[in-house]
Amino acid sequence: MKPAQRISGLMEHPFGADYARGTPAPADRALAAFREQARAVFEPQGLPGPRNESWRFTPLRTLAKVPFIPAAAADDVDVAAVPPQIAELPGAARIVLVNGILRADLSDTLDGVELSTTADRALLGHLASAASAPLAALNASFMSQTLSLRVSTRAAKTIHLISIAAAGSQPAAFHPRLLISVNKGASLTLVETHCGLPGQPTLANPVTEIDLAEGASLKRYVQVTEQPDSFHLAATGIALAARSRFEGFHMGLGGALVRQEVNAVMRGTGAALELNGAYALDGHSHHDFTTSIDHHVPGCASNQVFKGVVDGGSHGVYQGRIHVARDAQKTDARQLHKALFLGRGPQIDCKPELEIYADDVQCAHGAATGEIDANHLFYLAARGIDPATARMLLVEAFLADATGRITDENLRAAFTRDIQGWLSRRSLKAAA
Amino acid sequence: MALLEIKNLHVSVGNREILKGISLTLDGGEVHAIMGPNGTGKSTLSNVIAGRDGYDVTQGEVLLDGRDVFAMEADERARAGIFLAFQYPVEIPGVSTSSFLKTALNAKRRAEGKPEIDAMEFLKLVKSRTKALGMADDMIKRALNVGFSGGEKKRAEVLQMSLLEPRVAILDETDSGLDIDALKVVSDGVNALRRADRAFLVITHYQRLLDYIVPDHVHVLVNGRIAASGGKELALELEAEGYAKYQGAAA
Repeated sequence: MKPAQRISGLMEHPFGADYARGTPAPADRALAAFREQARAVFEPQGLPGPRNESWRFTPLRTLAKVPFIPAAAADDVDVAAVPPQIAELPGAARIVLVNGILRADLSDTLDGVELSTTADRALLGHLASAASAPLAALNASFMSQTLSLRVSTRAAKTIHLISIAAAGSQPAAFHPRLLISVNKGASLTLVETHCGLPGQPTLANPVTEIDLAEGASLKRYVQVTEQPDSFHLAATGIALAARSRFEGFHMGLGGALVRQEVNAVMRGTGAALELNGAYALDGHSHHDFTTSIDHHVPGCASNQVFKGVVDGGSHGVYQGRIHVARDAQKTDARQLHKALFLGRGPQIDCKPELEIYADDVQCAHGAATGEIDANHLFYLAARGIDPATARMLLVEAFLADATGRITDENLRAAFTRDIQGWLSRRSLKAAA
Repeated sequence: MALLEIKNLHVSVGNREILKGISLTLDGGEVHAIMGPNGTGKSTLSNVIAGRDGYDVTQGEVLLDGRDVFAMEADERARAGIFLAFQYPVEIPGVSTSSFLKTALNAKRRAEGKPEIDAMEFLKLVKSRTKALGMADDMIKRALNVGFSGGEKKRAEVLQMSLLEPRVAILDETDSGLDIDALKVVSDGVNALRRADRAFLVITHYQRLLDYIVPDHVHVLVNGRIAASGGKELALELEAEGYAKYQGAAA
């Protein structure tokens, strides 16, 4: 028998024995055992390295050199309020986490949604396992709190989960686990804002597992606006039962290195998934969107539209894998990634990967990169619009293909405003 | 003072001289037509006045109300009152016609030291203008020129012209791609904008457009030079006899 192929990862990293000692063990003994199992996976493999195909475009060398301590061990952090720049979403109930720990004092009471810090064992580790994903292994090895959300009806209020990263005198990391179950026929809209406070670098390593029962529906709009020197490595696993609907949107506007990884499995006929995203990068920001959609059963649809603009020395990555099993006839699976270069310095890597084993399917993928069209600029100039404003209009329009797919009108407007904010800050910087 | 003065204008693209000394004076209230065969420099003239990149002005000048046009960027020229109605209006996906119109209108208002237009006032203004041009109400909600028919695109150009109230409007082959009904609507729109303090430069290959937008002066542009100038009857003569006699003379 051949020995199992081992991909050597980055073995020099801050998440060793000292780090583990600094992470409080969960009170729940079953959870403690879960964590030990994950460490047994994480320790020998380390952080994913450049020879791991899925991480080729997103090197973690810089991150591995930051002397992170567990945020739980940082006793010099005091966050008294949600940063004022986080916009209030009208009619939404807030759940606030600081360094991955629920802050009931900053959160609203929820209606129609059960929130618990006791792990939902039926879900934990089932949709994001340490064995299959390095990010899940890192998360499970050091997680100290799980947050379970269960929706049994049609949730009237949008939930706005705000995750704030804050380090003290040393760089700090945290590993929250979010478990979301949407029961049969129930529905929820969830907005997540992942942000940080200025100071030492932080690493947020959230892992989310989402189980959608028959006919359930979830809209999940995620926004990552970490501090310019901070890290965010997120993984999400989603299972869709028959006729369930998932609409995801992932936006990246900040952070030194960000990866948003989404793995979805279509488990019941008639399930539909929309997974879209937009990013706008400047400086040395690196954002990676890695998706994997598994069509296991017939008659499901998945559609992805990701669009990004890159400037400065930034780097955008989109990797999209679609797997259609032999039995998954009548699958409709599509993906599109388009990027716009605003300068000559940035880099884009795009890797579509289609594995189709069924013969009666519709699958399509597209990828394109380009620059702002000089004819568009001249047309706008000929109507008196100055070049900076014209560029802003065109960039916003480019991203609108993706943001326009957000079906909640108010939230679409909120995400569009965030992009406009990014653009005007950038043009102010250019003018200065 | 003349509204627009073009003095001995020489323009090259790469090493090739396209315009070889054009002089024209447009006074307020006048409509000048420039006619000529294809490839003779008609579009170069409109593009170079509007400020498109890629043209080298090697000699001469253009003055708008006495101001040097070539000292201004394209967007400044537009705000100063030069309007180019495009032969092929550009489709811009994702930019709604209404936000485009508002941005352009406010750019001009800011340049004139006026406050930005109020949202209600803007809608009212646009509505009255679209109605006059026989345009559908929902047109301004659509992405700019995207999926517009040829006629809709040209109407949209006239709508922009009517909102931006230019000093000089240059119509570059506005008749191309229009059927006779659309041509009439567009021409009516343009005629409604004729004013004592505004001039029009109508560039066209065919005489047909000039039945509807009746010019005060007609110039024949051949091989980068104005080969003849006259009244509106010159257009009829060209229609009957073609450009051959001028091409011969220029050669």
